[in-house]
Amino acid sequence: MNPSLKLLTVLLASLEISFTYNTAANLLIVVTASIYLISHRIRWRALMWLLVVPLIPAVGLFTTIYFFGAHQLATAVALFTRMYAYVFAGAAFTLTTSPLVLAHSLEQNCHLPSKFAYGTLAAFNMLPKIKTTILTIKNAAAMRGVTLSWWSPRLYFKAILVAITWSENLAQAMISHGFVEGQPRSTYSVVRVTASDIGWTIGLLVLLQAPIVWAGLH
Amino acid sequence: MHQDKKLHVRDIILLALIGIIFGAIFMGTDFIYNALTVVLTPIGLAPMANDLMMGLWIMAGPLAGFMLRLPGTAFLGEFLAAVGEMFFGGQWGAATLISGVVQGVAAELGFTLTGYKYYNWVTLGLSTITSTVLTFAWDMFKNGYSAFHLQLLIILFIARLISIFIFGGVFVKLITNLLNRAHVLVAR
Repeated sequence: MNPSLKLLTVLLASLEISFTYNTAANLLIVVTASIYLISHRIRWRALMWLLVVPLIPAVGLFTTIYFFGAHQLATAVALFTRMYAYVFAGAAFTLTTSPLVLAHSLEQNCHLPSKFAYGTLAAFNMLPKIKTTILTIKNAAAMRGVTLSWWSPRLYFKAILVAITWSENLAQAMISHGFVEGQPRSTYSVVRVTASDIGWTIGLLVLLQAPIVWAGLH
Repeated sequence: MHQDKKLHVRDIILLALIGIIFGAIFMGTDFIYNALTVVLTPIGLAPMANDLMMGLWIMAGPLAGFMLRLPGTAFLGEFLAAVGEMFFGGQWGAATLISGVVQGVAAELGFTLTGYKYYNWVTLGLSTITSTVLTFAWDMFKNGYSAFHLQLLIILFIARLISIFIFGGVFVKLITNLLNRAHVLVAR
């Protein structure tokens, strides 16, 4: 499926269930997302992990509403399942889409300015280096007997100084490779929007309306 | 940094990097959120973990706004942090993006209210208030806060205000003070 349309579907579905207390709609999203993930041959362990991740906050929210709040089982269950719907819908997107393909799709299909598509991509590709740099900063401080933790402004300060240097270097590197802001670009990998992409987007969103309309009628 | 009032690819890379740095540092704090939730659940205050942690999650926005001093940078800083979180280890997936938009707009509003002219405590104070109000309004729907008692809502609101003030206000100011002393922040 086209990455931009997939993202749009997931966002609209997540947004809609945020404003409705509908257990059936939430479960429909969980099931649909599971089928999609299984059809993409996601590992079972990853799927099981998705069941564990939202458990603590979901149970917390449930008990607060059911035992300490309005005592409405329907509301509490709807919020409990909604947490799962968010996580499964999100995973259906992130576990099957790479940032690179999304950037290409947003640039070509949604006319996102190339400076955003490639600038963000350049930064995201630095993630492993950022992790090691933060570790380096911490270790360098530890060697001088200074402990830098997540509540030390100095850790952020040092990391940001590195980021400023990197952003300048990366931008220079991109420009020297022929990147020009706001100029039309040719593409080596073309991302298309097919009729079936649009069909799936509309079809899935219409399907989601079924339990919500049903609940409205009863 | 540089003088003209337009975002260039360098600024966009920097904004995304800031978001990722915060994400990478906070990756180890997920257990605090889960631990807080577990501790607060038996006394019926589980959602408070969300409010207490909110300050940490919104830090990238005000910091970016304070650093780059251009309209839209606070929003982009926060939003790109959410995009990064969505792809790398965020558990909430696409809902993160929606929260990122809400938090980004909230942080940006504080700067908009000053007309992008002042960068001091007033700006961070305004950003704290707009962030608290807007993210709280969003949680009325997203986390079902509208089903809570008024008394609980007031407690949660105050917890969130304090958290955002400490991290999105005081903490950001401490970081920008250091950046200021290093002369990497240039007034536009």
